[in-house]
Amino acid sequence: MSDDKAVSEQTPIGAQPPVSEPKPAGGDKQKPPFLGTKRLSPVPINPDTDRADPTKLAPHQEALRQAMLNVFTAQKARRSLERQVQHISPNRNLAEGIKILFDDKGQPPANVPLEDIVEERRRLEYHVKWFEGILAELRNRLVRVKEVEDYAFEMLSRSLDDE
Amino acid sequence: MAAPIFLLAPPRSYTSLVNAMLGQHPQAFGLPELCLFNVEKLVDLWRGSEGPISENGAVARHGLMRALAEIYGGEQTTATINMARAWAGAREDWTSGRVFQEIVAKIDPLVAVEKSPSYTMSKIRMQWMYEAFPDARFVHLIRHPIGQCKSLMAINEGAFAIKVEAIEFREDHCVLEPQIAWYDLNLNILEFLDTVPDSQQIRMRGEDIMGSPEKHLAQIAEWAGLRTDAEAIEEMMHPERSPFACFGPINALFGNDPNFLAGPVFEPHKPKIPRLSDPAPWRDDGGGLYPEVIEMARWFGYE
Repeated sequence: MSDDKAVSEQTPIGAQPPVSEPKPAGGDKQKPPFLGTKRLSPVPINPDTDRADPTKLAPHQEALRQAMLNVFTAQKARRSLERQVQHISPNRNLAEGIKILFDDKGQPPANVPLEDIVEERRRLEYHVKWFEGILAELRNRLVRVKEVEDYAFEMLSRSLDDE
Repeated sequence: MAAPIFLLAPPRSYTSLVNAMLGQHPQAFGLPELCLFNVEKLVDLWRGSEGPISENGAVARHGLMRALAEIYGGEQTTATINMARAWAGAREDWTSGRVFQEIVAKIDPLVAVEKSPSYTMSKIRMQWMYEAFPDARFVHLIRHPIGQCKSLMAINEGAFAIKVEAIEFREDHCVLEPQIAWYDLNLNILEFLDTVPDSQQIRMRGEDIMGSPEKHLAQIAEWAGLRTDAEAIEEMMHPERSPFACFGPINALFGNDPNFLAGPVFEPHKPKIPRLSDPAPWRDDGGGLYPEVIEMARWFGYE
């Protein structure tokens, strides 16, 4: 089969019944030959949790695993930082986003693709939704902080009255 | 109480889409990822994680919070999410199974449809599901290992592979190898399903559903005892109509794959399926699939 040829519904599947058909109820189900075989993860299984437990690795394997995790974490942090930097440059992002819709005379290009317009509209809606969400969360926190502040002042004034 | 339908599959196996499609059936209710059976008791979802990259962080609660807000509050807002937190707080020492039963009873007679790929990380979790719902139906959803692994590695830098310790040790270093996760999680599912009566399980290739959704979703509906008329099938073609097919309020944004939340519209297509003998694109040494992975994939019907 070539790479670009999708598997058809008539894909030969050897001795198996077609997998997309409901498996038959009753005793004629063909058991998977893999049942009870070893897992491929080299990390031993903890029987209490039925999950791989890296604390049971040999020391040199544990060190290799930790080194891989360190690299993974560093890469993830770097990519996350790159994304954040993009977010904190809203002016540049907005300018780049609008560029597709307006030329240097402030007019939309004659043949601007509809897909680009729709994508830009969705992107802006997404940003607006995020900002509204953050605003709502900040308002929520403000209300809570004000409640705590009011309560604290009330307690303070009571204690002063008592004195 | 209608027995729920659980989708069992490793992540990136079309679970979000299929779950939402089945959930749009007029007789069904598609839930977000509740992740309830990740833990034995509800309070454990708040007790933090089993490690720095565990699946039981705050995001794992978003699906449950959104479901409770929608079911009990009628909408998903900051206020109803706060109500959902209170609901959960009042039941913190309940078992996950009991909490799930309460949700299923609330939406009865609609059939609950749920998938949380993290359930497949341990047979114990799947056993908890089965103990809570001995009459539950299970759909084992499969995806070609190369397609699934490529997709897995493109999400969150492949962090899920670490969660299941999908590591290949080499001479002086080790690398993430997502096909280990594909194999081990499918093996977990197969071993679990071996304890479930045949009438309560069905296996489907995700690529088949994407290519001929009407036919294959109708098969699942018929197997599950749901209507298969044209109206019901048409409803299932619109996963975007689910109340959970979008980002939630700021205090419970997710509850599903962010890619699905950003673009939940279904467009029928025949996914391109590579050959099992092709090189694995995520490998830096030009290697391909392991023989064990190829054998299992063949058993699932891939070439």
